Amino acid sequence: MVGYLVLIRPGDLPKAAPVSPFRHLDERKAAIYENLRDLQFEYRLDKLSDEDYNTTKIELQKELAKVRAEEDRLKLELGQLPGRSAAPAMAVPAPTPVAVKKNVCPSCGAQFEKALKFCGECGKPILAKGEVA
Amino acid sequence: MENVGALALLLAFCISLYAIVSSVVGRLKGKPFLTLSGERAVLAVWALVSTAAGILVYALLTGDYRMAYVASHTNREMPGFYKFAAWWGGQEGSLLFWSWLLSSYAAVAVLTSRKTHRNLLPWVVAILSTIQLFFLILNTFIASPFQVLAVDRVVTSVADGMGLNPLLQYWAMVIHPPFLYLGYVGFAVPFAFAMASLIEKAPGESWIHTTRRWSIVTWLFQGMGIGLGSAWAYHVLGWGGYWMWDPVENASLLPWLAATAFLHSVMMQEKKGMMKVWNMVLISSTFFLCIFGTFLTRSGIVSSVHAFAESPIGKYFVAFLALSIASTVWLILDRLNYLRSESDLESVVSRESSFLFNNLILLASCFAVLWGTLFPVITEKLSNEKISLDAVWFNRLMVPIGLALLFLTGVGPLFAWRRTSIDSLRKNFQWPGIGTLVTAATLFAFGMRYPYSIISLSLCFFVTATIVLEFFRGANAISEKTKSGFIPAVIELTHRNTRRYGGYLVHMGMVLLFIGWSGHPFNQTAVGEVAKGAVMQVGSYKLKVLDLTEGEMSNYSWETAKLEVTKNGEFLEIVEPTRRFYKAAQQATAVVALRSRLNEDLYINYAARSGDKATLQAYVFPLVEWIWIGILVVIGGTLVCLVPSKVARAYTRTEVVGVAKANAPVEV
Repeated sequence: MVGYLVLIRPGDLPKAAPVSPFRHLDERKAAIYENLRDLQFEYRLDKLSDEDYNTTKIELQKELAKVRAEEDRLKLELGQLPGRSAAPAMAVPAPTPVAVKKNVCPSCGAQFEKALKFCGECGKPILAKGEVA
Repeated sequence: MENVGALALLLAFCISLYAIVSSVVGRLKGKPFLTLSGERAVLAVWALVSTAAGILVYALLTGDYRMAYVASHTNREMPGFYKFAAWWGGQEGSLLFWSWLLSSYAAVAVLTSRKTHRNLLPWVVAILSTIQLFFLILNTFIASPFQVLAVDRVVTSVADGMGLNPLLQYWAMVIHPPFLYLGYVGFAVPFAFAMASLIEKAPGESWIHTTRRWSIVTWLFQGMGIGLGSAWAYHVLGWGGYWMWDPVENASLLPWLAATAFLHSVMMQEKKGMMKVWNMVLISSTFFLCIFGTFLTRSGIVSSVHAFAESPIGKYFVAFLALSIASTVWLILDRLNYLRSESDLESVVSRESSFLFNNLILLASCFAVLWGTLFPVITEKLSNEKISLDAVWFNRLMVPIGLALLFLTGVGPLFAWRRTSIDSLRKNFQWPGIGTLVTAATLFAFGMRYPYSIISLSLCFFVTATIVLEFFRGANAISEKTKSGFIPAVIELTHRNTRRYGGYLVHMGMVLLFIGWSGHPFNQTAVGEVAKGAVMQVGSYKLKVLDLTEGEMSNYSWETAKLEVTKNGEFLEIVEPTRRFYKAAQQATAVVALRSRLNEDLYINYAARSGDKATLQAYVFPLVEWIWIGILVVIGGTLVCLVPSKVARAYTRTEVVGVAKANAPVEV
């Protein structure tokens, strides 16, 4: 028994699953997406007034934007921007590599008066990855 | 044999100590070999404690009456099933059972999270091993199950043991303690993960994700343990009650209440990153209440129907509790900064605030029960007079609290997360609200005059209405979209978010429990001394005594009354309430005659015999059956919660969808 405790070969060390530095942000993002989905569903069930729906939705989108900004900051810190991020950000929709006009959302086509990082309509990033404003 | 068992425990004690040291040093100095060694130590402790437990169980089954524990908790006549159950039937054995469960839980925790939580695991191992160490101290030095009987220092044996308390020889009683212990012990793991993430200042909510299932399963075990206990009390004890606010019952309820609060408030942390300190406090309180419950049960500081002998282990528990509470409080205070909330409460009229109220009320009930339970101890210390608070006191306090909780159960789903405007509120409340008032008015019109029962039943309607509406609306929306039938849509809806809809099922189970409790004021009682041929009346039932007989069995003697039951002149059945007297334990038990129907139970207890007359206690308990059905629904709902949600598994593919009606730019 003592041998079992003391004799440890290097090969016995468990290989830790790669921990993405973005994990907590991904989790947070997934939670926000889930909140958005719930909100959408409850709105469809007519449980929410239009006003509640809109306010809450904008709030959630702002939170999402904050998480993404944090993600970008972390990427810069880790020297991963531009380039591939170490972990596939779980809930991020694949960025569409389409040349875009600055103020038009590549995903839904909504237009905005000023340049935005994220679409106010659909929440997707407006800048293609690697293109730093 | 017993020496091997004692030695195994002693070794386990040493290795637990080693596990603590090696994990902490390994983590602090960054030596993966040491931390791995700590993890292995946890498995080794499990093997050793299992060995000791195996030896004890073997001695119990084979009847090794040299051992004090075997001699005082089994006898030759007992069926093997109960001999096995004697493992947790007494003080020393049940403490060993605690140790064994904890070591098993720790081993499972190590094996399941050694890959995913390299940083947290050393601390988890250290914390669990510390708890393990405490129990092993009790097992090894204070209350060893391996003591042998001796006369003048010569080991001796007795011809036959004293047997297990015959009241406990009932199937529900055999599995009631293990379930409670599974609950008591299980909360150690979420607690350990919570503390580990505090120590490590781990970012995010990973301890919650890791221990989410764990908490639910443990909560379920604890609830099942409580349910089995009250089912046993009702079916075996013969007084017709299922809960009497006995200190030990309260001890099992306390962690369950705290854990219920935790399961609710943890959702706010998952969803919005709020209430982090609060959740730490709740999970710690739950764990400490578990230890406190064990302490209360095992030390005999308060008198209880679960009469265990006065024992010296109390002071060790107090010391352990004091030390661990102090270090937890220090840790939380020291890490307040890390636990900063990410968002605030937006509006008082929101799902969050209903959760908050639910938490406050649950905690208030926890305090009330704790206060009531400790009152005799406090009064004894202050005035040398032990004043126990009875069920009346508890009911006066807990009934309104329970009703408030029931109300919130109904209100919750009607509120939206973050905010609910007056408009939506009116729309959502309209029909359930009107229905509730109509129910109350109808009950009053039909002559019901007990305010609490009226409120309770109306609120039951209210909660049911909101839950049914929730399922109905959701399933409708899905069936419209997918063109599927209603039932598949309900299943799809539940599968999409099992925790929410499983949770609603649990709420539905609670509603059924409240329906059962609401029948309480309408109980009818009749006690009578009857001879052969006499007729006794209880409620609308007539009981005619056909015969009074008695007899002898190998380990007990019995007396019984043969009764013909008629209701409104119509013959129903012949029942035979019996009283048994167990010779070895010199104790009487009742075999109650019970006729259960959904509207009411007829409950007849054979209390005593004098000459040719028998004393019968007959009761009519309206709606009691719903309590047991409610417990089953709660269990079913919890199991649904444990099924992985479809959406959660598929969320990599989900995107933000939706059509905003007003366009608002987002600035970063």
